[in-house]
Amino acid sequence: MDKNNQIPFDEDNYTHNINRNNERKLDRRGFMKTLVGAAGVFAVSSLPWGAVAAKELLGLKNKEYPHQKIADLDAVGIGEAVEFAFPGEHDSALLIRLGEKKFVAYQNACTHLRCPVFWVKDQNEMVCPCHHGKFDVETGAPTAGPPRRPLPEIEVEVNDGAIFAVRVKRYEA
Amino acid sequence: MKLKFISVFILAGILMLNIVFTQKMVHQYFYENYVNTLIFMGLNIVLFPIALIVYKRDRKKGGERA
Repeated sequence: MDKNNQIPFDEDNYTHNINRNNERKLDRRGFMKTLVGAAGVFAVSSLPWGAVAAKELLGLKNKEYPHQKIADLDAVGIGEAVEFAFPGEHDSALLIRLGEKKFVAYQNACTHLRCPVFWVKDQNEMVCPCHHGKFDVETGAPTAGPPRRPLPEIEVEVNDGAIFAVRVKRYEA
Repeated sequence: MKLKFISVFILAGILMLNIVFTQKMVHQYFYENYVNTLIFMGLNIVLFPIALIVYKRDRKKGGERA
């Protein structure tokens, strides 16, 4: 009764005044419950991956985008590169003229951490400056550094003295 | 002791498989093998009811806690 009127209040019991047996104890069964819950979380979180994979399977294959003009033929010298965006305005890409009639184009987001990849003419390679990833210019395959997947290739077409991006190729890996 | 922890080991194994399948699923997605992605997703989902069965069985059999 008059405990409450005392200053200082002598029972330091503000934080653990709920007395339940084994409240904090993680027993075997509790641990198993956690494991089952983890399995559930894994199951649920794999759903979106399956969903996007199914979407991809169901018809986005080799999707046609409207052909997009990249540059005039005369504007690109042999060994030079042009940046453009295809198919969306944020999918930056790189066109490289390797020969009189030979063009290659890749989406130039590095397959490591999506830094832009540049064409380095002297080294005859595409280089990602972030972690010195390198890509083969003929195929887009990674040749050095952290990236492990090739750059997605863009099919190009020369028409009426201009270069057009036609579609994004699927790569086999 | 031995039998009591068998379910725990099974569940730990299931969790391990979950991790492996998830890793594979993500990799297969980026390699654009979408069928494989779907297979691993299926495996991952199937593991959940298995884990639940293991847990339920243990609870029914064991009776006593801890």
